[in-house]
Amino acid sequence: MNPHANMIIMSSLILGPMITITSNHWIMAWVGLEINMLAIIPLIAKQHHPRAIEASIKYFLTQAAASSLLLFSIINNVWNTGQFDITQSTNTMSSTMMTAALTMKLGLAPFHYWLPETLQGTTTMMTLILTTWQKLAPLTLLMMINQSLNTSLLVTLSLLSMMIGGWGGLNQTQLRKIMAFSSIAHLGWMTMILTLSTKLTLLTFYTYITLTTTMLLTIKLLETNKMSTAMTSWTKSPMLNAMMMLNLMSLAGLPPLTGFMPKWLILQELTKNHMTIIATTSAILSLLSLFFYIRIAYYSTITLPPNMTNYSQQWRHKNQQKPYLPLMIITSSMLTPIMPTFMMIM
Amino acid sequence: MVFFMFLFEVCFVFWIISVASGPSPYYGVVGLVFGAVFGCLMLVGVGGSFISLVLFLIYLGGMLVVFAYSVALTGDPYPSAWRGYVDLFCMVSYVLFVVGAVMYCFDEWSLEGYGDVVMDASGLFSVRMDYVGVSWFYYYGCVMFLIAGWGLLLTLFVVLDLVRGLAWGTIRSI
Repeated sequence: MNPHANMIIMSSLILGPMITITSNHWIMAWVGLEINMLAIIPLIAKQHHPRAIEASIKYFLTQAAASSLLLFSIINNVWNTGQFDITQSTNTMSSTMMTAALTMKLGLAPFHYWLPETLQGTTTMMTLILTTWQKLAPLTLLMMINQSLNTSLLVTLSLLSMMIGGWGGLNQTQLRKIMAFSSIAHLGWMTMILTLSTKLTLLTFYTYITLTTTMLLTIKLLETNKMSTAMTSWTKSPMLNAMMMLNLMSLAGLPPLTGFMPKWLILQELTKNHMTIIATTSAILSLLSLFFYIRIAYYSTITLPPNMTNYSQQWRHKNQQKPYLPLMIITSSMLTPIMPTFMMIM
Repeated sequence: MVFFMFLFEVCFVFWIISVASGPSPYYGVVGLVFGAVFGCLMLVGVGGSFISLVLFLIYLGGMLVVFAYSVALTGDPYPSAWRGYVDLFCMVSYVLFVVGAVMYCFDEWSLEGYGDVVMDASGLFSVRMDYVGVSWFYYYGCVMFLIAGWGLLLTLFVVLDLVRGLAWGTIRSI
């Protein structure tokens, strides 16, 4: 891409969510969301093949519709309450429409249809940005208006997201689509606890960012996008393959890895609020995602004939290395024992 | 006066529907022009006469004219107009959607005080009576001004990057 355009687009990609997060006026929050959406469109379509362009069009249409719905609900709220403050958005119809608009931006069910195809049509780095950085601004807005949100609506959306994230990912062989469905399920966990405790939503979000970043950087390093190429990618870096298995188990939420920490605290918070059936249902629904994570881990460590078990790694090493990846792997595997620190920080 | 506002709103919705349901952008621009005209007239009706004139000038006189020039430059040999029952069905469904939305949200958008207050907007005092707002946009609203300008510059670069190159530009790949 042209270096000047690249500079403006990259800085707008960072500027957009920063404006949204630091604003207390609804119009500035909306402006930040729009700048963010505009900036990422040419990045998704960077490779200019029809699949990438179709992915960017799908992204644009969904996000533009969600932005206009959000603007409509902002104006309704202003009409009703007379002021533009984000934390004072108390009109019921506006809050419901804002929930719909922001969940459309996040990719929660039932507005999740764009996410697997958009993530599949673009490069792995763009998948990383789309699943981590782009979730920051809408989730912040949801956390700011959490007092006026309807708990039953959010719990319904999150249970639906966990179901769709679990069942939808079962039939996938492409790793980026699997990460899309994992993102849907994790966002379901985040919005489940939104009205009860925003601290836990934030903790789940940070954990999810760490785990997803580690997984996608591992995928990029091993240069594999399908499960069939993941079967033979262990020769590129056997230790990384073993660590990828730990990371996948952490994504699934197995103790004592990091991914267990937010799930445990969410289940505790739900039980404290006498929502035990919902807590049990969500714990059971996370078993669906566990299956496809285990499947990826199994296929990446499998012994494929005619290779033998003691096959050595490939003799020509790749030049690209990510020096921060070991740190991220440790962060994504070992944080549950220091959970009280996180409760104190949040 | 109430009737004028109602008439402008109906015409505005009509032309916007013609933009949304038309298959070709070249005939949709006609809808944009007239929709913008009626939108500006609606703004006059709630007291924003200066804003209405500014919108008319910049939107119609600036952006639509530039659109027409770029369209003439790219050229399309056989543009298609409204044809057959497909677009009629689109148009009817859009009208039904608008009517349904108004009926559903009628409690929130009550018709009390409809058209007989100017500049008040039922307690939302958001449009000023004088013209000092333009200078205030540069003084009090400095940060918003910069961010809005940055957003427009960004849009320019995004569009340029998406349509760059004739053979592998975005529009050709579909």
